[in-house]
Amino acid sequence: MPPAPSAAAGSCALSLGSRFLFGCRVTAAHRFAASPVQPPSPLHQQPHLQPCRQGRRWLRPELRGVYKPRLSPEAMKEFWRLSGIGPDHSRAKAADQQAEVPPEIKRLYQEALPPIVSQDYRDPIVESLHRAEMMRRRRVINIPEFHVGSILAVSVMDKHAPNKVNRFVGLCILRRHTGLFTTFTLRNMVDQVCVQIEYELYSPSIVSIQLLKLERRLDDNLLYLMDAPHSHCTIPFDMVPEPYSRNDPVPVNRERVRLNPPPWMCKWHLHGYQGIDLEHLYSYLSDKDVAKAIEFSKAYKRYDLLDQYLNRVPVPDADYAFKDIFIQHQELLQHQQQQQ
Amino acid sequence: MATAPHTWLRLVPSCRSYSKATRLHKIDYPWKDEPKPHWVRQFEARRVDADLTPENRDWLRQWRLQRVRDAVASSSEAAAAASPLKEPPAARPLWTPRVSQRCGLVGIKLGILPMWYRNGQKVHTTVVQIPDQRVLRWVPPEDLGNYASLREMRPYRLNQSFLPRWLTQQRWGLQLVGAVPADPANFTAQWCGIFKAAGLPPMRKISRFLVSPDASLQPGACLGLHHFRVGDCVDVVARTVNRGFQGVMERHLMEGGPAAHGSTKFHRKMGSAAGGGGPIYRGKRMPGVMGNRFRAARSLPVLRVNTKHRLLFIKGFTPGPPHSYCQIMDSWMLDVRRSLDANPPPMPTYFAEDAPEGGYPEDVYHPDLLPYDQPLELPD
Repeated sequence: MPPAPSAAAGSCALSLGSRFLFGCRVTAAHRFAASPVQPPSPLHQQPHLQPCRQGRRWLRPELRGVYKPRLSPEAMKEFWRLSGIGPDHSRAKAADQQAEVPPEIKRLYQEALPPIVSQDYRDPIVESLHRAEMMRRRRVINIPEFHVGSILAVSVMDKHAPNKVNRFVGLCILRRHTGLFTTFTLRNMVDQVCVQIEYELYSPSIVSIQLLKLERRLDDNLLYLMDAPHSHCTIPFDMVPEPYSRNDPVPVNRERVRLNPPPWMCKWHLHGYQGIDLEHLYSYLSDKDVAKAIEFSKAYKRYDLLDQYLNRVPVPDADYAFKDIFIQHQELLQHQQQQQ
Repeated sequence: MATAPHTWLRLVPSCRSYSKATRLHKIDYPWKDEPKPHWVRQFEARRVDADLTPENRDWLRQWRLQRVRDAVASSSEAAAAASPLKEPPAARPLWTPRVSQRCGLVGIKLGILPMWYRNGQKVHTTVVQIPDQRVLRWVPPEDLGNYASLREMRPYRLNQSFLPRWLTQQRWGLQLVGAVPADPANFTAQWCGIFKAAGLPPMRKISRFLVSPDASLQPGACLGLHHFRVGDCVDVVARTVNRGFQGVMERHLMEGGPAAHGSTKFHRKMGSAAGGGGPIYRGKRMPGVMGNRFRAARSLPVLRVNTKHRLLFIKGFTPGPPHSYCQIMDSWMLDVRRSLDANPPPMPTYFAEDAPEGGYPEDVYHPDLLPYDQPLELPD
């Protein structure tokens, strides 16, 4: 049985008294005077609405009898900082807000973030199951940190192979989906034939994933290498792994690829790729296409709030996922130490 | 005296003048899509009681919710197992081949989790949560004619050329099951009255299952997660995803018209509606609301059971969006029914005495399924 509210509490009597004695609306500060609930933060204050032609008319505060203070510039700035979207926000800055979890967790467990879909299709229990099963799989196999642009060697079980294991080395050009559905695509040249293989990261038929070179590129995917000279994705199968340190930031390969002459598989100039030599690319295009490409790459997207809102994981959800993973990561380290 | 429905429903002769399209199962009556009981209003707008302070309003709400929790806890299987004073349950019925049909469970579809078999094959599993549910009522087969929703359907039934077999054969009765107990203030007094007779708190969802009399359950009986075992094949019935008003190309996979070559305003249309001077026949495929219909996914095995979150992992995909209700029952497919004769499930439902020694672990896996913390070992 919940405890009965104390009728003798000063706050209740005071609020009732003020409501009926003075006949005016109980102010917000008064109601929260003696309660454990904190006063509303700047985030909850409504900005004063300017009257507009087709909108609902708002009386000036002096005429309404209720004064709503305009938000100070500092409060407005705080509001935009907490929201996580806006022209001053970038993905890097949003990630820095989660200061409680070490950055190596975010690098190792990029697929722990929930998917960017409508809230109707997301469920916290299913997402926590995905994370738990991901960590269980990592007790069996070591999955290194890798990004698009890194070079990996993957061994999968193959009953038709001589050693029952099939090894493929390639450049990671794509990393898709989240949770247990995560896949990554490796590209390489085999006997002058381009080969791309998509692997499921958590498939039990993968025997080992070895990181040969840790690197990052300027883009989220390197699909334009399909229309680039083959030298960009030729990796020797006997490549020696390069050592790397987890504490150092991931090195960024800022090379700009020169594509082959058209026809291309896709209109690469319309996707905002930074890793393509744009001057060389525009030399193949007509003036109209170049204008379209330049129009597309204009920096107005930082003001497109809806685009940022829809294509971004909400900061509290990402925070919760990484904290959950961090706890399980520490358990995983203990388990690995016990095994040794 | 209860009468069989097919004695008072005179079967009309079959109508041969209409084409086969008229006898499609998609022809339905207006109230078919309404959840039953549709003659009782479920939700009530919250009364704003100005005499109550906010603190008292919250306290009263907590008091109501605590009463609901107490009612749920007192009728749970744990309470039944722990109480030494109650009489032992009556003799449990035996599984009779070709006769027995157990009650089903109400579930909430949550999402999809991929898993792998021990031979390396991937399988997608639907995660379904089994909420708190209790049995509301048992309607024996001979009383089907007096049941309210079937009385409402009498005009429709009279105009049909045949009646469904569950109505004519009267082998099975209706078992009403209520799921997801909630705050009584959300519901109308009429809705709460349905549960009062069974001594239960009001619930959000009422489902009905066709159950044989030997597997019937009395009001207040508890239905739990272990009603289904790992390896049992189930049918999942749910409303499909509502795709809204759709044209014929999306809804009925019609061809439409050519995109070019002089086609004037004929790209996604139906074209002719037939008729030949007469009326368009009933059931003609036309644009309309697509989805939001009850459909069944048949014979899906249960691959894993999670006792912590009360989850069933069912192989494959089930109809409906996430967080929608679904009905889960023993499969009606003949091969599954025959396999159940050799390995009968707990009849009429799972009780605490069926639990294995030491209880159930958190996760119970199908023997063919590979848990994620085990390495894959393929045979040579």
